[in-house]
Amino acid sequence: MQLSALIIPLLILFIISFGLYKKVAVYEEFVEGGKEGFSVAVKIIPYLVAMLFAIAMFRASGAMEMIIGLMAPLFDFFGIPAEVLPMAIVRPLTGSGSVGVLAELIQTHGEDSVIVKIAATMFGSTETTLYVLAVYFGAVNITKTSYALKAGLIADFSGFIAASVVCIYFFG
Amino acid sequence: MLSISAALFSDLRDEIQNKYNNGHIFKASYTNLGINDQIDVYIDENVSIQSEENKVIPYEINVDFKKIHLVSWQLVTQTLDSEKNSIRLQIVDIDPLQKSISYKLPEVHWIKIKAITKAAFDIVTFAVKLAIGLAGIMALWLGLMRIAEKSGLLQYFVRIIFPLLHWLFPAIDKKHPVLGSISLNMAANMLGLGNAATPMGIKAMQQLQELNKTKDRASDEMCMFLAINTSSVQLLPPVTLIAVMGLGVSELILPIILATTASTIAAITSAKLYARARNKLCN
Repeated sequence: MQLSALIIPLLILFIISFGLYKKVAVYEEFVEGGKEGFSVAVKIIPYLVAMLFAIAMFRASGAMEMIIGLMAPLFDFFGIPAEVLPMAIVRPLTGSGSVGVLAELIQTHGEDSVIVKIAATMFGSTETTLYVLAVYFGAVNITKTSYALKAGLIADFSGFIAASVVCIYFFG
Repeated sequence: MLSISAALFSDLRDEIQNKYNNGHIFKASYTNLGINDQIDVYIDENVSIQSEENKVIPYEINVDFKKIHLVSWQLVTQTLDSEKNSIRLQIVDIDPLQKSISYKLPEVHWIKIKAITKAAFDIVTFAVKLAIGLAGIMALWLGLMRIAEKSGLLQYFVRIIFPLLHWLFPAIDKKHPVLGSISLNMAANMLGLGNAATPMGIKAMQQLQELNKTKDRASDEMCMFLAINTSSVQLLPPVTLIAVMGLGVSELILPIILATTASTIAAITSAKLYARARNKLCN
């Protein structure tokens, strides 16, 4: 996978050169976008605190072990480490919260662990279904969502399974 | 709530089983003699003190110790060394004739409760450190993406997506502006720009609502649009993932594309199937 190391630098080079080619004020726009990045990072602090707090308590109390122990046979059946379970639960509910879950997994299991890779792929390959549903339907006053939630959760579930299978194939 | 009850439960269980041998008197024997000298004491019983949370209270060790160094056997409390870690023992009785010593381990209670309290306070600091760390990479990436947006890179993606839309939304006229909004939303999602995608998505939703015949109920098109959005069609990982994972994210790009393709296919299939089932009921 030597090629993958090139993707990000090439992308950065490409975006900047393309911007220059299209005569975009590269520096000004970069700074403008960067400001947004900072405010987003600050905005998610309370969500991070709440989620990390909950997970830390959950883990320290031993409740995590109990649940992982209960779910382990099911996960073992698919060959997926049960530690990724919190990500699967939190991901459809809250975006900033799942950043917290991921950060916590990195701290506990290390960045190079398969667990973290699966969780990160889960994070990257699905969206905050309930949030999107609430925002989009809320904006147009739809109260009967018919099958939108079901379809969204089916998509999430397939994404999780696919993420696990793909990561175990690549890194396991 | 769940965590606190679980902690209470396991603490009470430990308390009842007396897992940490509170109050239990252990016997040990020592070899060297000499008052006020350092003496070695060998524990007869195979004592093991285990602390599950070895980072946390109460014993900062997780060993079977065999050897005790008593600095002075007249003191009531003494220290047991085991490499770097140490633990205070309470000496109950010393019998010079038998060369034996009786001692108690320090009392330990409410391990889990103490552990979750400590964890809670530790993690809060970590959360802020993490967020500050995120700020830098987020600023870099969103800065780059802003250039991509302004240079019209998004429009190229729109051109790729647009022809597919007719298949996904067969009921919508090809020239209707809503398809433009939908393709912009998808293009932004593909580039991992969740924040930019949302306003476009809302706009698309409003335009779909104009086409919707039952205003309080989601139309098939809305459900399809939503399902695709929640499965997140993704070429580049989301900004926040890049921020958390750093450069490690580059080797995840391919797995993410594969997984998201699977979830998108699942989203489209299930939305199509549900739509078919609903329309059959209506007819």
